Amino acid sequence: MSSMDFFTAMEVSASGLSAQRTRMNIAAGNLANAQTTQAAGGGPYKRRDVILSAVDVPGAQGTPFAQQVKGVVVSQISQDAAPPRLEYDPGHPQANAQGYVAYPNINPVEEMVDMITASRAYEAGITTMTTAVNMAERALGIGR
Amino acid sequence: MGVDLSTVDTLQAALTYHRERHTVLAGNVANLDTPGYRPVDLQRRSADEPGTMAVTHEGHLAAPAVSADFVTSFDDGGALQGADGNAVTLEREMSKIDANRARYATSAELLSRRFAMLRYAAGDGT
Repeated sequence: MSSMDFFTAMEVSASGLSAQRTRMNIAAGNLANAQTTQAAGGGPYKRRDVILSAVDVPGAQGTPFAQQVKGVVVSQISQDAAPPRLEYDPGHPQANAQGYVAYPNINPVEEMVDMITASRAYEAGITTMTTAVNMAERALGIGR
Repeated sequence: MGVDLSTVDTLQAALTYHRERHTVLAGNVANLDTPGYRPVDLQRRSADEPGTMAVTHEGHLAAPAVSADFVTSFDDGGALQGADGNAVTLEREMSKIDANRARYATSAELLSRRFAMLRYAAGDGT
């Protein structure tokens, strides 16, 4: 009966690292565009949100715990449907008939928190991967 | 009388179990922010542990005496669950990973020493 090797563990950790990096990129994009009133497609920039999903890992297939081991993948990058923030600024070229300018529905504090969370989760992924590498090296030392 | 390698088999089973458990726990860490994800863990029980394969009905057959142990998975979400249904606690997972690593290292060390003893026995005693 086959079992999962350490490369499967590393594959799982790598999927987590990749997902967290995407989260970090999206949060950085949101922060950078917090004041973008004219985005592609018209209207202010809309906040992006990363949707993560658990997925089966190819390396675990055919092993007893193939269904228990899950990697992660960014299944969707959605746009936040929350309405834009309106600010009264009649002189602004993008102001509407009432003098309001539509700014993105982005809260910089929220994005910063998201970035910190993603960064910590990335570190945890690195630690987990390093542990797998240490265990594999330990196995190589048996019988030496 | 041959060479007794039962210790080697036992330790090999332990190493396999800890390796698989690490992979499962790595999946929990990877899914730290996945909505609806519940952490999984593995547990290992010896086959001759009372209650593991008890004959509960006279029509049942007794389980064959096997020395191999059972590894089963279980939901380890606990009571803590975020608003998105994710039940992973990072500290809990990281401490389990580290304890599992230490157990793996212990089994590896014991296996090394068993081999050293066999080497000593097979050699000329130097």
